[in-house]
Amino acid sequence: MTSSDWLDIRGWSESIIGWSMDTTHDLLPNSIQNDFAEIQPALESFFLATVMCTVVFAIMMLTLMVVPYIERKFIGRLMDRIGATTSLRSLWIGEGSATAGDWWNKLPMGMGTPIGFVNAKLNQSFGNDHPHETISRVNNRGYHGIWFLLPGFFQALADFLKFATKEHIVPKKADKLVFEIAPIIIIATTIMVYAFIPFGPHIWAANPDLSLIFMMAIFGVAPLGVFFAGWASNNKYTLIGGMRSAAQLTAYEIPLLITVLSIAVISGSFNILEIVDFQIETSNTWNIFILPLGAVLFLVTMIAEVERIPFDMPEAEAELVEGWWTEYGGIRWGLMFATEMMRAYAACILFAMFFLGGWEFPFQDLLSSLPILGGVFEIIFTIIPGLVWVLLKAWLLFAFFVWIRASLHRIRTDQILEFGWLYLLPLSLVNLVIATFLRLEVWTDSGWPIWAAPVLTIIALFFFVVYAIDEDEEALSQSRRPYSTQTLSKAYPGTQEKQEVN
Amino acid sequence: MAEMWISMGPQHPMTHGLWTLKVKVDGETVVDTEPDLGYIHRGVEKICESRDFTQITTYCDRLCYASANTWSHAYIYAAEDLLGVEVPERAEYIRLVAVELQRLASHLMWLGAYGPDIGNLSVMVWCLREREMMMDLLQELGGSRMHYNFPRVGGVKRDLPHGFAMRARHKLSLFLERIQEYESLFDESTIFLIRSQGVGYAKPEEMINHGVSGPNLRAGGVNHDIRTSHPYSVYSELDWSPAVERSSIKGADCYDRYRIRVEEMRQSADLVLQALDKMPGGAETYHEPGDPKILAKAPSRAPEGTSGSHHFEDSRGESMFYIAGGGEGRGKMPYRVSIRSPMFITIPYASKCMIGYKVADIPAIMGSFDPCIGETDR
Amino acid sequence: MSVVSEESQISSAEDLAEKLDAVDGVSSFVDQRSNGTQIRPVVKLQVSSENWREVAESLYVDYGVDYCSMITGIHWPESKDKNWEIIYHFLRTGVKNPPHSEGVVQPIITNNSELTGSDVPLELEVTIHLGDTRTPSVASIQDIWVGADWNEKETWDLVGIDFEGHEGMRRVLQPHETPKGYHPLQKQHKLRYHNFQEMYDDAQGFKRKPVDSERVK
Repeated sequence: MTSSDWLDIRGWSESIIGWSMDTTHDLLPNSIQNDFAEIQPALESFFLATVMCTVVFAIMMLTLMVVPYIERKFIGRLMDRIGATTSLRSLWIGEGSATAGDWWNKLPMGMGTPIGFVNAKLNQSFGNDHPHETISRVNNRGYHGIWFLLPGFFQALADFLKFATKEHIVPKKADKLVFEIAPIIIIATTIMVYAFIPFGPHIWAANPDLSLIFMMAIFGVAPLGVFFAGWASNNKYTLIGGMRSAAQLTAYEIPLLITVLSIAVISGSFNILEIVDFQIETSNTWNIFILPLGAVLFLVTMIAEVERIPFDMPEAEAELVEGWWTEYGGIRWGLMFATEMMRAYAACILFAMFFLGGWEFPFQDLLSSLPILGGVFEIIFTIIPGLVWVLLKAWLLFAFFVWIRASLHRIRTDQILEFGWLYLLPLSLVNLVIATFLRLEVWTDSGWPIWAAPVLTIIALFFFVVYAIDEDEEALSQSRRPYSTQTLSKAYPGTQEKQEVN
Repeated sequence: MAEMWISMGPQHPMTHGLWTLKVKVDGETVVDTEPDLGYIHRGVEKICESRDFTQITTYCDRLCYASANTWSHAYIYAAEDLLGVEVPERAEYIRLVAVELQRLASHLMWLGAYGPDIGNLSVMVWCLREREMMMDLLQELGGSRMHYNFPRVGGVKRDLPHGFAMRARHKLSLFLERIQEYESLFDESTIFLIRSQGVGYAKPEEMINHGVSGPNLRAGGVNHDIRTSHPYSVYSELDWSPAVERSSIKGADCYDRYRIRVEEMRQSADLVLQALDKMPGGAETYHEPGDPKILAKAPSRAPEGTSGSHHFEDSRGESMFYIAGGGEGRGKMPYRVSIRSPMFITIPYASKCMIGYKVADIPAIMGSFDPCIGETDR
Repeated sequence: MSVVSEESQISSAEDLAEKLDAVDGVSSFVDQRSNGTQIRPVVKLQVSSENWREVAESLYVDYGVDYCSMITGIHWPESKDKNWEIIYHFLRTGVKNPPHSEGVVQPIITNNSELTGSDVPLELEVTIHLGDTRTPSVASIQDIWVGADWNEKETWDLVGIDFEGHEGMRRVLQPHETPKGYHPLQKQHKLRYHNFQEMYDDAQGFKRKPVDSERVK
């Protein structure tokens, strides 16, 4: 474990706990000091584990609030078709209610003047001739947040607290034991996953040698809880939803595990910290450039695992109301909804760890070794802890998830299963073969050869472009137009002369 | 798993209205269906027997609330047939503008509801936004956003407001640009194509025998549109032809029905623009309400023994009103009003179409037939 | 502009009316609707209820009437000879089965203005009168046109006219448990509840009854 930064929570906790244990030892009467010394290591590790678990859980929960915020704001802008320009503009024109903000002028001691200056410059270069229209479009939103920043940020927390006040209803003929156990399974296993995720080089709760396998195993227990929930509610809808969910999640566990295995093969270890260190220290390349197919596969299978659109058939509102969690109310539903978010968040963080280099800024080494600016960058990178980069990458990836959600349709369950078994499984096996080949043949002990990453990336981009290009436009449009309107003239507003269409 | 009856009950986000669809499933496959209507049966036919001819128009607006103008106009044509009224030509053009704008708004509502059925949530917001433009236009014409009470026996309530033609042209040109984007969001999405192609086949011969009409029928390749086969209003004066889709041998699937409504949207926009160009007296002149150019004098009594009927191309099919005269008030009120709702006939047929497909296809199929329960239950 | 031409539609209607007039138990004529820019003919038939089933079958088989649009039932309690009236609306769509080629239906896009003879779409209206009876009943045409199925259910449900030979007759707009004999569109059913002491004289509540109108004096 060689990558490190100053935010050494683990080290600090260890030293504080060690100091407190030693002090306790010294303060105890002499007769039991030896006995205490015998149990001291065990006590220390117990306290360390407790503290680290709490710290990691707290970090996760606090930063989890950003996730529904991203979802809400981004989907809102996508759906309202506010467009890229107004969307971006709304960031500096402000989301105040009556005025356009100028919250910067209210900061004490004139601290906000440079912000005002930047704002004015941005408006000059990227504004338009109609600031009032933009302001009114942007300001049609409400204003519930910290007074100048992030309106709507605490909405998710408020919703969650509201769920805690709701009544706990158990359907009359439901199997009470299973009904109660199911949420416990789902919520507990999802939280346990976070024990193994390192948020920074020294911020982790548990780090066994095979942490990757352990984590994936826990991640995969949740489908069992889902099935329990669907069955125990004594409701045909939830039963169907639970069955669909179980089938879908099982079908996508396998490509997921094989893809994760390929990551382990490339990185040479089953330990997540070592996988990240492999990218940062040993090979100096992010895995996404070495294994782009693996990255895409991981993304797709993770979206299916966390049941987001396009794979959210089990909870599709159009047919099954809420799917397998219809009958749950109150805090059980609130926590299970939070679990959805947590699983998606875990998927994003894992992607950042496995493929995007974890807590390293892109091209960090390169930037630090520049002649003059290198010094500046070095200082920046020393000040900002690795945790920040991890979180930024995870949030950015989550925005990508939201983008997919807003644009794609829902795939039918049997099509999802077909896709998983017939397409993703062979692809993940191919990916594993590629990973094995790369590690065995291409990897040299001092790192990837200089041509490896660019060549692989170019091959991946080539395939992407080839598949993304539409085929024969003519034939496509021919097959879609209705027969008789192929000769209709297109409508143009108010003109008398019309044009013939082919 | 054994076969079981699921009730996609009256409270359900999918059903586009208040009705029950009992579905017998074997695992994921639909084996049998039974629709159950009548939850919002308001007894409109009975009520109309004690209302004036003018008062009935408001009831007909509320038959299908998503497509109100088409229903009140269907009734008014039947009433004019009964009372023997000659409608001035300018009024006919204004009515055509109102009806086609309403058809456009109704199809946009359908598309906005169909997207979320399939899973795409953004399309709902976008289509409802475009519909807002049409609702603005209809509000200028009729006075309210949903139930306009626009036609009168013998003409229309009021003329096109000042500047209406300019605003309509601007909004429709904006709409015609944007519909291409929405169309490509569906057409170029593989997921939508695999969800809707090959699903819910409906054979044209069966459809005709069943009484299905309108866009659902034309999606099967049948060139039958009441506006051209039994032309009423001024459709024969405008340059257009019905949109007919080229379907496969097995019948029309959901994709065909979706495509045909998009084409009908374009066509309705085109018809409105043509009507605004060709309006007698020009689209900018304004006549006061009650002017004989837009409202002819009509008798208010229909003696016993007379009857009038009219069938009309509604957004969802063929709607028909049959009015028998000679009711209360010595003929001031009709003796019997009988309403034919296209959806009342299509919903049992659509339920039959679902047999053999998966449960997940039920919203796709049902949504593609565009049910509106207000007119079904009357 | 491919709208059906007026002359061909009128001539085809008169043709059909002549042929049908010759059939047993049928008397037919051509009526016209004239609103709009074009006159539309309607072939109106008056059929006796005994011959209705054969006439219906021959309409479907011989005359190509393929679309049943609406069935209306009317109750005339004051009249003696037409106590119950059932009106059917049909369409002859004139659509032929389109050919297939390459697995795709090639729709027959006709230029409607060139249609003649029996290809022209036509509207038919069939009226059947029943005398004074407490159990009005007409032959069902459910097996000829499936579109008549739910129309017949609705007519029975609301008006009370029974259809012989109809399978699966049930309440379709009113609740399933509606009591037998409750058919609201019959004239003895008032719009409001039976014998409810109304406060107003008219249906909409403009003419208030005097306060002591129900009191026994």
